[in-house]
Amino acid sequence: MSTANSSIRDVLYEPPGPKTRRRIGIATAVSIVVLVVLAAKVVRQFYIAGQLGPKYWSLFARYTTWRFLGRGLAGTMEVAVAASAVAFAAGLLLMLGRISRYKILRGFSTALIEITRGIPTLLFIYFFFLLAPQFGLKLPAFWKITLPVAISAAGVVAEVLRSGVNAVPKGQAEAAVSLGMRGGSVFFKIVFPQGFRYVVPALISEIVIVLKDTTFAYVVNYSDLMQNAKVLISNYDALLSVYLVTAVIYILINYLLHKLSVRIAGRNRIPGITIE
Amino acid sequence: MAQEQKRADAARQVPVIELRHIDKYFGSLHVLKDVNLSVQRGEVVVIIGPSGSGKSTLCRTINRLETIDAGEIIIDGAVMPEEGKMLAKLRSEIGMVFQSFNLFEHKSILDNVTIAPRDVLRVPRKEAQEEAMRLLERVGVADQAHKVPAQLSGGQKQRVAIARSLAMHPKAILFDEPTSALDPEMIGEVLDVMTELAGEGMTMVIVTHEMNFARRVADRVIFMDGGSILEENTPQEFFSAPRSQRARDFLNSLGDRER
Ligand SMILES: Nc1ncnc2c1ncn2[C@@H]1O[C@H](COP(=O)(O)OP(=O)(O)O)[C@@H](O)[C@H]1O
Ligand SMILES: [Mg+2]
Repeated sequence: MSTANSSIRDVLYEPPGPKTRRRIGIATAVSIVVLVVLAAKVVRQFYIAGQLGPKYWSLFARYTTWRFLGRGLAGTMEVAVAASAVAFAAGLLLMLGRISRYKILRGFSTALIEITRGIPTLLFIYFFFLLAPQFGLKLPAFWKITLPVAISAAGVVAEVLRSGVNAVPKGQAEAAVSLGMRGGSVFFKIVFPQGFRYVVPALISEIVIVLKDTTFAYVVNYSDLMQNAKVLISNYDALLSVYLVTAVIYILINYLLHKLSVRIAGRNRIPGITIE
Repeated sequence: MAQEQKRADAARQVPVIELRHIDKYFGSLHVLKDVNLSVQRGEVVVIIGPSGSGKSTLCRTINRLETIDAGEIIIDGAVMPEEGKMLAKLRSEIGMVFQSFNLFEHKSILDNVTIAPRDVLRVPRKEAQEEAMRLLERVGVADQAHKVPAQLSGGQKQRVAIARSLAMHPKAILFDEPTSALDPEMIGEVLDVMTELAGEGMTMVIVTHEMNFARRVADRVIFMDGGSILEENTPQEFFSAPRSQRARDFLNSLGDRER
């Protein structure tokens, strides 16, 4: 790894010397022992409670169980992808409003950003699920979960994008302007693409939050992974096993998202800027 | 024939850049004080002066990167408006080379040079690329065309910045301390390109601390201090017998280093 691309860790810490290496070794060993003991205790508790019995696990030998979870996962992914797309579009518009030269538009966008950031997702869901139908707005379950999740991410996306745009040195826009480029071109061809690259990792973190927010789908009776897991739990009375498998699936998706973020950041890398 | 001659003479009379009674404040700081400047076609004007005297501000004012509080900017006979299409058009006619290069970091060297012709002049991609390659060839960095700015040395970056300006076929190019951010061994390669441009008749306004270079290429030297133009002179006169005391002091303060 060249110095220009070294991570912040290399800058903050000098390489460990022999004393430090020994200390790190001891600390690691102690931590592992403590973790193993804790894990053993947890497993023992579940064993005592009977959750480790084969009847709670045999359902995973069945193809239908996986097909059911798979359908739930597909539902989750559909909501996550749609909500992310809507949140990005709305976030982009809110950001443009917030940096606009028109004061009214600026104030309006700022207010919307603060509101969407300040209100918990569940409240937006109740709005679309309980309140909106009373005013004649009847949406399919898919949109009842997608829209609230997207709205509550939009304000954050707007602020993340704005921080990226603000981080682009002023000279970039000045160079473009002095070549005769007009406002729209300067922003969308020079400033935004660079600002966007700075914040790709933050945007992917926001997708992870969107993905987790989709678990509210049960509120509106939309079959996502979580909802289907709940059905399995009540059908088989298998709490631990199903939650464990479900959690592993969520972790896997988010891990893949992280990997993707590193890939994209690497491909779009502006040399000299490293994202881990 | 006689008429054509007359028209050519008239054209020669219209300055490429004309500043009339420019005043500029940063808050309460009076940075440009009733500055008047006119640059003729093909002329190389070098602006010299101590740090903080307003040289950069003057340079940036010419294409309205800075707002002004009073005065007029006239580009080749056309008054530069404060905003709009005409402002962008006049800006495109005046190139600008910055101390810190300001290459577009997310674009290849080739795209840095083609983006403005394509976006502003609507030159087709292929044509823009061919011309860009010719320009990069001319400033000696054609072999870097497919890299990104961060992979280039400072001297190479600044030469790309000059090529990027040239791609718009400007009527004049402004240089604000183009070599001040460079390692000493790279200054020469940039000054060489600029000397060549001057030789080809490009109209140039150059802020620089490179006195030998100034002496060599300037048609006229302008000395600024405290936001005012204190002296306009030929380089021979200015460097051997400056008229103003402050210019003398300034040249002396540079010491033997430059002389
Ligand atoms: N953006 C700014 N805001 C406030 N003051 C500024 C700004 N830019 C320059 N100045 C001030 O204006 C004066 C002239 O600056 P500048 O034109 O950069 O001088 P020079 O290029 O001759 O060194 C200096 O006193 C500087 O501190
Ligand atoms: Mg300066």
